[in-house]
Amino acid sequence: MPLFSSMECDYPLIDPNFRDFCASHAIYSVEDFLLHDLYVLVISTEQHHNSERLKEGITQVLTIINGQHQPWVNGQELLDDALQNKRSLPTGCRSIDAFLHGGLKKGHLTELVGPSSSGKTQICLRAASSVAESWGKIIFLDSGNSFSSKRVAQFVTQTSDPSAYEVDRALQAVMNNIVCLSVFDIFTLFEVLHQLKNNLISQVDQHISMIIIDSISSLITPILGGGGAQGHALMVSVGFLLKRLTHEHDICILVTNHMVAGEKGTSKPALGESWRGIPHVRLLLSRDHTRNISSMSVLRHPHMEIELSSRYNDIRLYNA
Amino acid sequence: MASARQWIEGDETAKQFLTRVLSERPFLPLPPPLHRIPLRAGNVVEIVGPSPSSKTRILIQAAINCILPKAWKGINYGGLERLVMFIDLDCRFDVLSLSQSLKQRIIKENGNDVGHKLNKVDDSPIGSKDVHAEYDEELFAVSMRRFLYIRCYDSFEFLATLKTMHFQLQKEKEAHGTGVYLLMIDSIGAFYWMDRASPSIPPGRINSTRKSLSLQSVSESVVQEIQKILLVHPMLVLTTKAASLQDKYTTREIRNTGQLSVESTLDSKNIRSSANVQLYREYMPSVWQSFVSHRMLVRPSDDSSKYQKQPIYSSEWLLPSLKISDKFTFNDDGAYIIS
Repeated sequence: MPLFSSMECDYPLIDPNFRDFCASHAIYSVEDFLLHDLYVLVISTEQHHNSERLKEGITQVLTIINGQHQPWVNGQELLDDALQNKRSLPTGCRSIDAFLHGGLKKGHLTELVGPSSSGKTQICLRAASSVAESWGKIIFLDSGNSFSSKRVAQFVTQTSDPSAYEVDRALQAVMNNIVCLSVFDIFTLFEVLHQLKNNLISQVDQHISMIIIDSISSLITPILGGGGAQGHALMVSVGFLLKRLTHEHDICILVTNHMVAGEKGTSKPALGESWRGIPHVRLLLSRDHTRNISSMSVLRHPHMEIELSSRYNDIRLYNA
Repeated sequence: MASARQWIEGDETAKQFLTRVLSERPFLPLPPPLHRIPLRAGNVVEIVGPSPSSKTRILIQAAINCILPKAWKGINYGGLERLVMFIDLDCRFDVLSLSQSLKQRIIKENGNDVGHKLNKVDDSPIGSKDVHAEYDEELFAVSMRRFLYIRCYDSFEFLATLKTMHFQLQKEKEAHGTGVYLLMIDSIGAFYWMDRASPSIPPGRINSTRKSLSLQSVSESVVQEIQKILLVHPMLVLTTKAASLQDKYTTREIRNTGQLSVESTLDSKNIRSSANVQLYREYMPSVWQSFVSHRMLVRPSDDSSKYQKQPIYSSEWLLPSLKISDKFTFNDDGAYIIS
């Protein structure tokens, strides 16, 4: 937050006199102001000869603060926005789309959890090819060199018209719509996301409909542990940054989370307790290798029934 | 002498006092599982539970109760017809879960009412079926507008929201003609890690009296602001808090108190016996903990299999401590107690 001393040109009420008054209460910025009891502050203006002007200054800062939070909206406005702008994007896999009532929703941070080779990256690539084909641009953030343009091409040729010319053109359009970036640490991820956010605000990048991070857990797990709060703070910050992007710019975000060994031979998601409250939707993938069947179950969803035992709501994804 | 006499005589009788308090800070009927304890404006309720354990859904059901009118065009809806303010710190609220539940609730109440009338006048199931599927668009829109929503992405925005809430409350009161009964915060610990990691001494300027956005100072300010708002605008505060139940911290907690119980078998049966053992990991600063006047623990229950697709949750009041554990589930149109 800017210091008061740098704000005078915009707000003439924050003059040296007002700043001195605030400094006597150890207030130097809007942030400090937030932590102070305003009633005490207003009362203490009475001891000064120009209390009226000081009070005006306090009201001025309050107006600034009022512009710092998100706007209040009512339920109807929220619903209108959701119905207009928060559509579902198809993943290209018919059984998944039917299962999720249309696919992955804009405005949602969706997480795929599953052990290695359970099909997480395959679903990501499939969704990328399907969305890039008819919905718009995709940012694919790749932390493990798992992006395969060949696989995307396969998906496109499977679904497209058989005539060779058409396939070529469709393929080109799809590939042009996918921006793949290699990200190997959390700081690069922050940099990329902040850059993206600024571009979206200044409307440089438009029609981005999806961000895929495969896998987010491999970027976050190295910074966790060691007893400090910093790692967790970075993790939660990434979560909030993603949620801000998905809500304000109507982007669908898909991240993957791998599994590690837990207690008594079970496996658990690599990002555990503190992460599980962050995504809107958590989907668990598992795969039966002998029968070549994958299944998906819902761990959390805002309005679909959560299946705790994961016995219901399963779908089988036969290998295409 | 006269003034002393006046002072002794008091300002109002107990009866006047009670009626004034009951009209200013009335008891609010709330849907299960919040129904066990009479709650009124001014109380601060915290719903604790692992994630997910239907905490937000409990809030949504309470909100629907509040935003629906008591009656509309001759049909009884049993609502409070007041405003709800929902501060979303998790930034995970999906409005469709509110709108769908509200629609279902309206349809259900219509059905009840029409069914009742039809039984009296004429027994035609075809007629009632039509009304079943319909709901009043206008009623729906009016109710939805009584739900006020804001999201905060960090503690700074949360504090900015609370600081300017007084004006907002005033504005909405004038616009709608009724006041806010429920203030909801979902969920209070959302910024815990971010605040904990922020430096307690601000960088740059060295000044020992200057505060910074640390976990302690943020919690103190939040409590202080809500207290001040409640003085002027009596509301019931409903908050949620995500907490993990059976991790290593719990085990250590139990060992420290000298009670060697096996924490992995903490099911509904032995909650009662170990009520004094902390059932979840508390992480909020004590200033928040002591601000909370009522606390309820919710968690997913294991015996879902009996009731097919609907997951079952169990709830238990920790503050005040009741020796009853409720099992509840959600239908299309609301929450239901099972046992």
